[in-house]
Amino acid sequence: MAGFVHLHTHSHFSLMDGAASPAALLERAGAYGMSALALTDHQGLYGAIRFYRAAQAAGIKPIVGAEIVLEAAGLEGGDAIEGDLPPDARLPLSAPVGFGRAAGAGFHLTLLAKDITGYRNLCRLLSRTHVRTGDDPSLVAIADLEQCSEGLIGLSGCPCGEAGAAVLAGLGGRAERVLRRLSRCFAPGDFYVEIMHLMTPDSPRYVSVLTALAARCGLPVVATNNVHYAERAQFRLHDVLASAGARTGLPGPYERQNAELWLKPAGEMRHLFADVPQACDATLEIAERCNLDLGLGEFHFPAAYVPPGETAYSVLSKAAWHGLEQRYRPVTPEAVRRLQYELSVIQDLGFPEYFLTVKDIVDFAKSRDIRCSGRGSAGDSIVTYVLGITDADPIAHELLFERFLNPERRQMPDIDVDFDSRRRDEVIAYIYERFGHEHVAMVATVNTMTARSAVRTAAKALGHAPEEVNALSRYLPWVSSHHLPEVLATYPECRDHPLLQPEHRLLVELASELNHTPMHLGTHLGGFIITREPIETWMPLQWAAKGVVVSQYDKDDIEALGLVKMDILGLRTHSAITDAVRMARERVGEDAVPEPFELPHDDPRVYAQIASADTVGMFQLESSGQRNLAMRLQERDFEDIIAAISLFRPGPLEAEMIVPFIRRRHGLEPVTVPHPGMGEVLRTSYGVIVYQEQVLQVAQAVAGFSLAEADSLRRAMTKGRSREAMEAIRKHFVERACGLGSSEEVAEEVFRQLEGFAAYGFCKAHAACFAVVSYATAWLKTYFPAEFASAILNNEPMGFYSPRLVLDDVRRHDIDVLPPHVNASSAEFTVERDGGAVRVGLGGLLEMTSRLLRVLEAERAVRPFADLADFLKRTRAEEPAARSLIRIGALDGLGVTDAGRPPTRDEMLALLPELKAVIARQGVAGDDTLLIAPARARGPVDAGHVSGWTPAMRVSAELECLGLAITAHPLALARADLERRGVTWARDLPACEDRARIRVCGVRERAQTPRTRSGKRTCFLTLEDPTGLIDVVVFEDALNRFGDVIVKNRAYLVEGVLQNNCQRGIALIADRIEPYVVRDKGRQLVRLRRGVGAGPLGPTLGGAGAEECDEVGAASSA
Amino acid sequence: MGRNRAIKAFDPRRTGDSLDLLTATDTRAPVILELLKSPWVARASDLTFPTSGFAGKRHEREIEVVWDAGRGAPRSFVFDRRRYVVDAIVQAWAVERSWWDPRRRLSRRCYRVLTRGGLYDLAYDRLEDRWLLVGVVD
Repeated sequence: MAGFVHLHTHSHFSLMDGAASPAALLERAGAYGMSALALTDHQGLYGAIRFYRAAQAAGIKPIVGAEIVLEAAGLEGGDAIEGDLPPDARLPLSAPVGFGRAAGAGFHLTLLAKDITGYRNLCRLLSRTHVRTGDDPSLVAIADLEQCSEGLIGLSGCPCGEAGAAVLAGLGGRAERVLRRLSRCFAPGDFYVEIMHLMTPDSPRYVSVLTALAARCGLPVVATNNVHYAERAQFRLHDVLASAGARTGLPGPYERQNAELWLKPAGEMRHLFADVPQACDATLEIAERCNLDLGLGEFHFPAAYVPPGETAYSVLSKAAWHGLEQRYRPVTPEAVRRLQYELSVIQDLGFPEYFLTVKDIVDFAKSRDIRCSGRGSAGDSIVTYVLGITDADPIAHELLFERFLNPERRQMPDIDVDFDSRRRDEVIAYIYERFGHEHVAMVATVNTMTARSAVRTAAKALGHAPEEVNALSRYLPWVSSHHLPEVLATYPECRDHPLLQPEHRLLVELASELNHTPMHLGTHLGGFIITREPIETWMPLQWAAKGVVVSQYDKDDIEALGLVKMDILGLRTHSAITDAVRMARERVGEDAVPEPFELPHDDPRVYAQIASADTVGMFQLESSGQRNLAMRLQERDFEDIIAAISLFRPGPLEAEMIVPFIRRRHGLEPVTVPHPGMGEVLRTSYGVIVYQEQVLQVAQAVAGFSLAEADSLRRAMTKGRSREAMEAIRKHFVERACGLGSSEEVAEEVFRQLEGFAAYGFCKAHAACFAVVSYATAWLKTYFPAEFASAILNNEPMGFYSPRLVLDDVRRHDIDVLPPHVNASSAEFTVERDGGAVRVGLGGLLEMTSRLLRVLEAERAVRPFADLADFLKRTRAEEPAARSLIRIGALDGLGVTDAGRPPTRDEMLALLPELKAVIARQGVAGDDTLLIAPARARGPVDAGHVSGWTPAMRVSAELECLGLAITAHPLALARADLERRGVTWARDLPACEDRARIRVCGVRERAQTPRTRSGKRTCFLTLEDPTGLIDVVVFEDALNRFGDVIVKNRAYLVEGVLQNNCQRGIALIADRIEPYVVRDKGRQLVRLRRGVGAGPLGPTLGGAGAEECDEVGAASSA
Repeated sequence: MGRNRAIKAFDPRRTGDSLDLLTATDTRAPVILELLKSPWVARASDLTFPTSGFAGKRHEREIEVVWDAGRGAPRSFVFDRRRYVVDAIVQAWAVERSWWDPRRRLSRRCYRVLTRGGLYDLAYDRLEDRWLLVGVVD
């Protein structure tokens, strides 16, 4: 065993001040034969749990600690502050360390937890400090340290500690005072003077003076190396991270003189401290004294409300039986048996309190009419169904409880619930109120570097100007930075990328090495931790940037600690459904619109709508892949919706389950199964193993496994076992199957199929829970399309498509799109003409303010606006908002000019500043202002329209200000040109022959490059023309040629071979893509600046800053 | 006696050679160590020109060093055609500067050694794989 243990070690969870992962540090310590290793990240325990688990797995004793930032301890006089001292007696403060609101500038002190008391005290100390300080620097108070020091060992810190800094400044007296004061904060024998020999010219003096001071104070010394990276070669990364973290260029805030902060072997550390061997011996002694047991594997549930005389189980049981009577009418023996079984398992596993906690939250939401629905494997349980947490009947859909809770494996159940996103805050407020603020915190996420952020980090550290940093990181795809050199060399969008220039070789090298380095702590979208004891005894807390208290642990750490994490997720679809139902009921009456979640799933019109791929807006069914699947699948019942949701997932796609499923469904190939038992189990999926639940059923039917055993088998198969482990599983399965009478060949074949599909199958319960929501949206779209579309547009951003496409879809359904107008529009989209028209709302208008919206509606209720002056006078509209309103035509037709007609948009824009000035000067503008003001603007460009603008000008303004094309689809303006070029329209594609060569034109709606089995890049483009959507597949060879065209443009002419058959659906296989610049008949340009969101091909697909290649496009389209 | 005790306690009459501080290892070592501990002593290598960032007068000379693998330190070196045997390693430090700038990059392992002729700073340049004499105190 090595004669040294590193007790001062920073991992990359020191957030921008550490270059190695805990795993890398442990690996290195293990290679040196060290028996223990401490992790002491700045100001927190961000990496502590994963370090603890990894250390235990590696057989190394984990010592959990932190390097805190402490207020000054060595000043004379109680109220003295550093600034009061004479200049030569002041100590320089090092750069702030720690992340965000947990960062602090002060003196460093190293703390190590001896036991669970020390761990809890450390959590408490950090939480108190971080939460109390708010926006101020996070500085531990000496008084708090004294209160929370039980179970902690203190080390006096690095050269940024007060004692170390005093020694370096030649202030021996202050150093001695610090050591004496700090030693009094800890139990006798628990405070050590930390000495470091960092191989700088100052190091010998530093060590000898501190050693002498320790002797004088009667304190032991301990040697450390202030480790910031595992290997010496990582010092560059550390410098880069420290510089970027401090927002400075290299050499960074510490101006480190060398590269000695690595995890050195015991021999080297002993050699450095040859004169003070007791300092190295002390590391072993401290390691011996630190024996923290976090008790991983136990569960800790929050306190559910249990009336006196009851138990958690009795309360749960009563609620479940009551719910059974509500859900099943009549109650069936099967349902009773199932509920009895599930309740007994829940009781045996000790989970009743967890179910009660979830029920409590869901009950609150339902009591306030907040729409919610459970999702995930929780749908496999009849208990969650009868408690009202999930909405899919587990018996009707053959969902298996063991997939959710395996009696053989005591794992924390995970019930995720989606709430109406607009009212999610009410649910969150209830959780805080119900369980107490000391018992609830949000879960953190650790945001790590991708290629783009790694390039930005390295470029900033290397001193590039902000605009250079932007240029260097532009067009980089969202991939791991590890693949950066390969991506630059092969990805078409990176062709001619500035990073390819030789002077950036070092930058690329550094960025690649920064792969997955944590950058900062984020807040989980909806994860809450609820604990019985105060939460600060379990984990450190701090303020997140968004103003909520967040734990320093992520969801995996919480799960490892056995604490309850509830995902309170917001689902905008729920908000849209609620809105659509409200609008529909307002129009046709309260009783005429049933609750969509309670509908029987048997309406043929709904299934016909889905099967026609007319699914824009439908939850989980609207993507291009799903529309393609719908054309092939031709959904007929609810089971088909579940299948569709399950089949178009990465796993089933990778396993290519869709093709046999479709072929067998349409009788193009026979349904064959190797074992008759599989026939019944796989009846609904035509012999294809689509669902994870089916893996369990097959193992039960063929090999006689219990469902719990079968679930263990499924988990074993999906965890990337070694060949030997898989062989053992296979042997066991085949033996059991043969024991039940199967032949060995049949058993082998069944196992082969299970092995092939187990890892790719989808959880049917999850799909079934989603399918309930999908059906509700499909029903609304079928019967109340105007209300449904308005509700979707009012809840954007949501779903797969942009608002522009949703509005185009409205138009294609023969529903009129009414332009926005100050005398007709409200903030939201509204339905008019008895469901025959949708009026565009003003809420999403560029530069619009909530104040103006409020005043606009209030004033309009008094009387309509007469003209621009009247509007400005009564609303005091800000000029940018007024400008946007004019540009989109919201003031068209108001007022009269001296030409005897309403003013054009140009005239109103020209008048606007003058009117604003008049109103500002006099308080009011005369009603005759328009007549007084000279018409300085150009005359109408298009005299045929009240706006005086051509359609191209109007559409460009609408797209720019609203992200919508209200006047017409942009390509509709170029119809003549496109027809001259022989373009085929989307609506005509179904009539085209399979393998026909065609040319289409469309505006890019989505571009996706999902993982494919072959590992090749394939881009799935969704284009839209005036008649519908076009799916384009761009395989790798075409992508290499035209990838940059896809990224840098928004409308294209695409040529290729049409695929149009029932097995593969309709899609165009592109072999030529060229940019298309949209111009109307008068050759006037239509700008498509908004309306296309960012996509996986790159951050600049459609967002701000993307270049419009007008010139290139114009040249090629000419 | 407080600070610089060794200097104040040094008795030049002991050897009868009034001004030679460095006659033997046992007498010169405490003096040098005491000097090293003194914060008021500035290093020549720390002196920088405000414009160039380099030391005022620096002279580096490539030398031949015999390495003692057992001790992990230089055993002797040749300077001006004279061989100096290292009596003691007074100090060792490492320098790693400006690694991102190929023109200014410095990667060295330095040893301050005590020999019969005085105190010498030797540096092994990792980038160029050679030994340099970077400082002399005599």
